[in-house]
Amino acid sequence: MNDLKRIFSVARRIRNERLSGIRLKVMLPILILFLPGLAWGFSDPDIILPGGHQPSNAMEVLFYASLGVVFGATMCAVLMAFDGVSRDRASGMLEVQLAQPMPRNHQASALILGHTQSILIPVYALLFACLGVVRLRMGEWPSLQETVVYVLSTGLVVLWYTLFALLASTTAREQGTAIAFGVGVWFFFTFLWALVTSMVAYASGVPVGEANDASWVALEGMLDLLSPNGVYHHLLETQLPSVDRGVAAWQVWIGAVLWTAVPWWALHKRMEALVP
Amino acid sequence: MAEAVLSFIDAQHRHPLPDPKWYKPWDKRLGPGVVGLNLDLYAGSVLGLVGPNGAGKTTLLRMMAGILPLQKGEVKARFHSDTPAEVDDLRQWVGHMPEQVRWQGRMTVRDILIQLAEMRNVDQTRIDGLLGLVGLRGRQDEALNNLSQGMRQRLSIAAALLGSPKVLLLDEPFNGLDPVASQAFTDLVRRLASKGVSVVISSHMVAQLEGLVDRIALLHRGQLLDEGPMEDVERRLDLDGRYALSGTGEVDAEHLFHDLDVELLDLQQDDSHWSLTFRGSPLSVLQAAMANDVSITSWSPTRPNLVEWLCAATGMSVEDISLDVASSALLPMKTAEVGEDE
Repeated sequence: MNDLKRIFSVARRIRNERLSGIRLKVMLPILILFLPGLAWGFSDPDIILPGGHQPSNAMEVLFYASLGVVFGATMCAVLMAFDGVSRDRASGMLEVQLAQPMPRNHQASALILGHTQSILIPVYALLFACLGVVRLRMGEWPSLQETVVYVLSTGLVVLWYTLFALLASTTAREQGTAIAFGVGVWFFFTFLWALVTSMVAYASGVPVGEANDASWVALEGMLDLLSPNGVYHHLLETQLPSVDRGVAAWQVWIGAVLWTAVPWWALHKRMEALVP
Repeated sequence: MAEAVLSFIDAQHRHPLPDPKWYKPWDKRLGPGVVGLNLDLYAGSVLGLVGPNGAGKTTLLRMMAGILPLQKGEVKARFHSDTPAEVDDLRQWVGHMPEQVRWQGRMTVRDILIQLAEMRNVDQTRIDGLLGLVGLRGRQDEALNNLSQGMRQRLSIAAALLGSPKVLLLDEPFNGLDPVASQAFTDLVRRLASKGVSVVISSHMVAQLEGLVDRIALLHRGQLLDEGPMEDVERRLDLDGRYALSGTGEVDAEHLFHDLDVELLDLQQDDSHWSLTFRGSPLSVLQAAMANDVSITSWSPTRPNLVEWLCAATGMSVEDISLDVASSALLPMKTAEVGEDE
């Protein structure tokens, strides 16, 4: 068996175990509520959003419905992966795994792939349900390019939170610390990032929260590159010509690559130095 | 004795401990572990690794298993040829059974073995044989969550044997095994050794290893105090030639041993029975007992226990050793050169 096949095989077992677990069954209603539920709500022909705005096409609806990904799917990713390493460490199974001659960076890759797949499979199934809901309510499909970007960027944001949770799991000696770290990171980027943006804007003399102020929009756009949720929305905004926050598409994609590569590398480094 | 299949030369691994300072909050210092270890493992030999809690047995086994890197020293192996060569990755040659693995999850016994076989890159056809060997064939479709402690221990043994290892490391393997399983396990270890596998068994119970191990390594405070065939180590530590004698009625040990070159080590006596341990010629003691009409019910050679081994090897008292075990600090015993603050 070659290395790649071995990685995928171990990942498949991790994925299957997670997919058949109680945890996913508990999270599924939340995901259904947040993904097709929001798509259903935002595709209402009579919906009026704050500011009198009305979504005018399928991609715009999916963009608003992506709030469900930020709130629901990323949280589920953290809850799926927070004990990816710490549980095996506590039970002693990690020691058995580390004693196998499979290189540790391959074991790390299998962990990442297995856990990411276990949350992406239901998320992707529900994303396609979202497309169906939008088609049903608005009578139109998003274009192929929009769909690809939507699916790819959702996969990336789920991967990033899985990486954060696994990183926390390698550091934590007990489950409580691992979940506190994972949920803390999620909470910070999901709820507190607006506060960070406001504080930076205030310190820079930029009027806070002025949606029509170009300097505020530009600052918020740049700062969003430092948040995984912000990069996710930037990625989606590349498919919304009406939105311009002063960040070029190439900058967004570089941000996405960095948010993928840096935690991936950090997790591999952690696994190399991991002690059972 | 054949050539060593695996040799650790001046090997060291000490666990980094947090040592925060205001200017370096994540600073670490070296703590307890294993230092200055020189140890040879021989093909077909069973080595008993004994020491009290915190002696460094598990750390040493993890070093041997390739889980913990060597910070100093080197390891040479003769897996490929007769010439010793440095090895980068021990894991493909070594089977490791950690202490008390709580196998858990929804995976089945068979699935976890398949996963480990894939991680080792070994043929999955071995799994059926191994399941039969450890008595888990009837439980192969059981979820890990549903296994008893004894079953988990058996699964750990099967996992350790998956790669047909040249060196088998067993950390406290008797924990959780019932007497029947313990006996079967002992037979299995002997069978593996007869096939040329070098087996290392760690235990803090010397008595459990008696009759099973060919050699013994005495570990304390992360250092190897002595190593070799059990009888040789006993002789070096002046612990050999011990016999236990017991009988009914009363015995006047002082009178009995008066003219004999015998050292009385222990005497227990109640209303109707007595037992004593002595060191010296058993023949002269038996002759003296018969001459004095002492009623003997049994006599047998006996081995010192772990505490006696440690006292003899370290020159410390039982109280000092027990207090010392409670401390996690590494205090060098002999020649290890470590910083004073450590």
